[in-house]
Amino acid sequence: MAVTETPPQPAKVAGRTRISPLWPALAMPGIIWLLVFFLAPMYVVLAIVFGQVDPIFRTPVPVWNPLQWDPTQFTYVLSRIGPGGAYGPALIRTGVYVLIASVLCLLIAFPVAYYVARLSGRWAGILLAALIAPFWISYMMRMLAWVNLLQDDGWVNRIASMGGLFDVHVHWLTGQPVVVVLGLVYGYVPYMILPLYAGLDRLPQSTLEAARDLGANRAASFWRVTLPMCRPTIVAAVLLTCLPMLGDYFTSDMLSASPKTAMVGNLINDSVQSPGQTGQAGAFVMLVLLATVLPMFYYVRVTARADEVST
Amino acid sequence: MPVPNRPGPNRRQFLQRAALLAAGTPALVAFLDACSKGGQSTSAPSLTIASPSSPVKWDIPADNKAIADGLGPEKGGTLQLYSYADYMAPEAVKSFEDKYGVKVQISTFNDTDEALTKIRGGNVDYDIFFPSYDQIGRLVTGGLVRPLNHSYVPNIKNVWPFFANPWYDQEWHYSVPYTVYTTGLSWRTDQVPADIAALKNPYESLWDPAYKNKTAVIDDWHTAMAMVLLKLGITDVNTSSADDLKKVGETLTQLVAATSPKVTITMYSDLPAGQISLSQMWSGDIINAQSYLPEGVNVDILRYWFPADGKGLVDNDLMVSLRGGKNPVLAHLFINHMLEPEVAKQNFSAIGYQPPQVSINPDSLVADGFIPENLKTAIVRPEYFDTGYRILELDPANDTAWHNVWRAFKAGGS
Amino acid sequence: MRGPVAWWNDPWRPPRVLVAVTVGYLVWSLLPVLIAVMFSFNDGKSRTTWQGFSFRWYWGDETRSVWHDATLHQALWQTLKLGVIATLITVPLGVIFAIGIDRWRGRLPSGANMLMLVSFVIPEVLLAVALLFAITSLALPIRLGTSAQVIGLITFQIAYPAVLVRARLATIGNQYEEAAMDLGASPMQALRRVTVPMLFPAIFASTVLVFADVIDNFVLVRYLSGNSSTEPVSVKIYNTARAAPTPALNALATLLLAAALLAVTVGYLVYRRMTRGDHTAGKGIAAFAGEA
Repeated sequence: MAVTETPPQPAKVAGRTRISPLWPALAMPGIIWLLVFFLAPMYVVLAIVFGQVDPIFRTPVPVWNPLQWDPTQFTYVLSRIGPGGAYGPALIRTGVYVLIASVLCLLIAFPVAYYVARLSGRWAGILLAALIAPFWISYMMRMLAWVNLLQDDGWVNRIASMGGLFDVHVHWLTGQPVVVVLGLVYGYVPYMILPLYAGLDRLPQSTLEAARDLGANRAASFWRVTLPMCRPTIVAAVLLTCLPMLGDYFTSDMLSASPKTAMVGNLINDSVQSPGQTGQAGAFVMLVLLATVLPMFYYVRVTARADEVST
Repeated sequence: MPVPNRPGPNRRQFLQRAALLAAGTPALVAFLDACSKGGQSTSAPSLTIASPSSPVKWDIPADNKAIADGLGPEKGGTLQLYSYADYMAPEAVKSFEDKYGVKVQISTFNDTDEALTKIRGGNVDYDIFFPSYDQIGRLVTGGLVRPLNHSYVPNIKNVWPFFANPWYDQEWHYSVPYTVYTTGLSWRTDQVPADIAALKNPYESLWDPAYKNKTAVIDDWHTAMAMVLLKLGITDVNTSSADDLKKVGETLTQLVAATSPKVTITMYSDLPAGQISLSQMWSGDIINAQSYLPEGVNVDILRYWFPADGKGLVDNDLMVSLRGGKNPVLAHLFINHMLEPEVAKQNFSAIGYQPPQVSINPDSLVADGFIPENLKTAIVRPEYFDTGYRILELDPANDTAWHNVWRAFKAGGS
Repeated sequence: MRGPVAWWNDPWRPPRVLVAVTVGYLVWSLLPVLIAVMFSFNDGKSRTTWQGFSFRWYWGDETRSVWHDATLHQALWQTLKLGVIATLITVPLGVIFAIGIDRWRGRLPSGANMLMLVSFVIPEVLLAVALLFAITSLALPIRLGTSAQVIGLITFQIAYPAVLVRARLATIGNQYEEAAMDLGASPMQALRRVTVPMLFPAIFASTVLVFADVIDNFVLVRYLSGNSSTEPVSVKIYNTARAAPTPALNALATLLLAAALLAVTVGYLVYRRMTRGDHTAGKGIAAFAGEA
């Protein structure tokens, strides 16, 4: 009891208000790993973009000292990414494809997630398993399946011609932007459904019922209550799905193989191993990195500030 | 009352951090410099470009001598080949494996630029590489290939005499020929009713909107752009004229607008599958395409055109022994094995590309039933090598200019 | 008696449109894969025309079936190797990272957290290119091949267990740990004997999910591969798909799918057992996937 119990040890009490060295020790391996294998290679990219090129083989020669950096390769790329430049169309195309694909993903994922989260009742488990299934199926396999179906004599054309009723001979696999966008949607929509499901699952039913009780019909209560409440979830899900899409190159490669649908990922992929062009690949890497990181920073700042401001 | 819980850095902290950064950067730089792979920048001042009019005999530097005579094959290792996909008959490989009791592994690349970069990076230990002769200058200058010891390759007598002393590698110090091929156009008569060969400028048919979405060009910058030059009537397929390159760029843009071709190296299976109906093609690919036709489709729908006077693109591929390889003796033995007449013929029927074997008489290939009559134009004759246009290695500045045009084309830009 | 109009306007009707959309989505999502699996049992060489049922591409065909073709074995072996090694290192690293970051307040951990989130969201090709440059420009003891691939995979996947564990820590809260420390345990002991056991479900879930993700990875392993013996199944599919694939490819992908399904099913069942008495863990598949 109180008499025999050891007196509270000051070190322990202090230990709970002062940071125990245990936590930094645990976090350190991970931090060091990220610094060495994530940040440092980014510096190598910079060293190559602003570095030299071997005169004969035109392989990149990295320059480590920032004072000796040579901006020629970087300015070469920058001067061509304007709308009239050689790379401008590809960048604009990437932006357009990703935007359209994100909107389509959202339009498909939201109803599905909403249904499974709130309305499916006893089917929820099975439906969820079916929704998660694409994660375990090789992405390549899914794309390959579509390549098969979209071939000129494949099932899509066969079904569309309805056994000879119509004469459908669309060449799906030669440079059709529609096919590439749909390919992106197909590949990335499972990544959007799960976060949406999680967010929608947590919406308080009581608030929604209150809206209906106060006289709003289905549409109004959805538009004016549900949607604003799940806006953070939507933003997070969109970021999670669409930022990785910016680097996609194999969808266009497998479903199209034509310069007409080249995305910035294709630009990177084609020039990385190409003599004299590695620096340009690095420049594109930097540009896409900026395009990815800035929205993330902004998002984290906004959510952090929201946490700060809430009482 | 909202209170921010993280005050910004005050001036002292900011100065501390800036000082830390300034102190740390040179240390980081010195560290990276020390770690950097020193041997990357070449010390050779310039690249010797070989051409039919200025043949080159590569010297053998003192630190890169050929292997000694009479060595036995390495035991227990794996011979590493580095080539295009579907470019080696499995039976030929198997017979070598059985003969010497070793394993052979084939790694593939999609284009020769990427392959050269990977070899130069030094991270790989391939034994045999299958480049085209337009890379031999860089391979030798960069010290990437091993000179051949001729005593291991007596079968050189089986190849066309020209290859014992080719202009790109006199006295065959570093290479032996692998296959010979021409680059022309091929099509399917069931989807292309016109006779492409009878047109005044057959290359023009690739720009014909009637074939929109059903065409393809080869995904190789030099081959595709050379064809565009020939279409424009410019016969210098290694031109360094900025004017010519500009015209090529514009013509390529027109090509995308007119027929939107696929840019690939898999036409040997896409054409028979019906995905494309008209394509720029290597002669070996159209011969190989026969085996990819689905059941029920007759071989005689395939056609190939190459200028009858031999004034088109003619090339050959090589076998070289890479310095980074761990099995030099086996490499020599494999090269010799592939020059064996029966093995070469076996390879021919498996991959479709013709080996320059003396024992294969181009005139009798059709009569012997080896090649169907409708593909007779795909047979490579020694005379083509006298009149044809050769794709040469380009000097670095010209190489850059060409690659820039190609890069703009592949980006779908102007 | 209700007429069709009344049935249509029934206020207690099931959400028909949503059901239709969901079912339509599931069909669109899974049907092509089922067709591909079906064709792996095709008797002929075609991948679009059904020519009869057989196991030819699994073990029947002498040279090109999965059982007989050595290159396909290598690919399968490489995939499993990468999966196991990467998972074994990623999960512990990510778990202790998450625990450390969660409890440690300050600018450095929040910076590290940001870095981890960026690594989660960054397009894979950027990381692949950066690592390729690093390995080919610096004389590191790592060469292209399995070790480089493992490093890339760990870097890319470390965010997964980190995020799952942090979410679970947020749900559990501090109370159990503080109770343990009140009762005399040191922070380390409290961690080992109270927190980590409570985290087992999240740890296990992230193990299975990281494994399933790694065996499917394409971009990183392709850039960081050495010669063809280090090319896993996904790269083989990509390389061969552009040429003339046989249904052996479908067979290979089906086998991989079966392996992933098996891993996840076993994982889920074990998860159910582990959380039998635990009321803070969600029960369904959603919780298993880390979304609870």
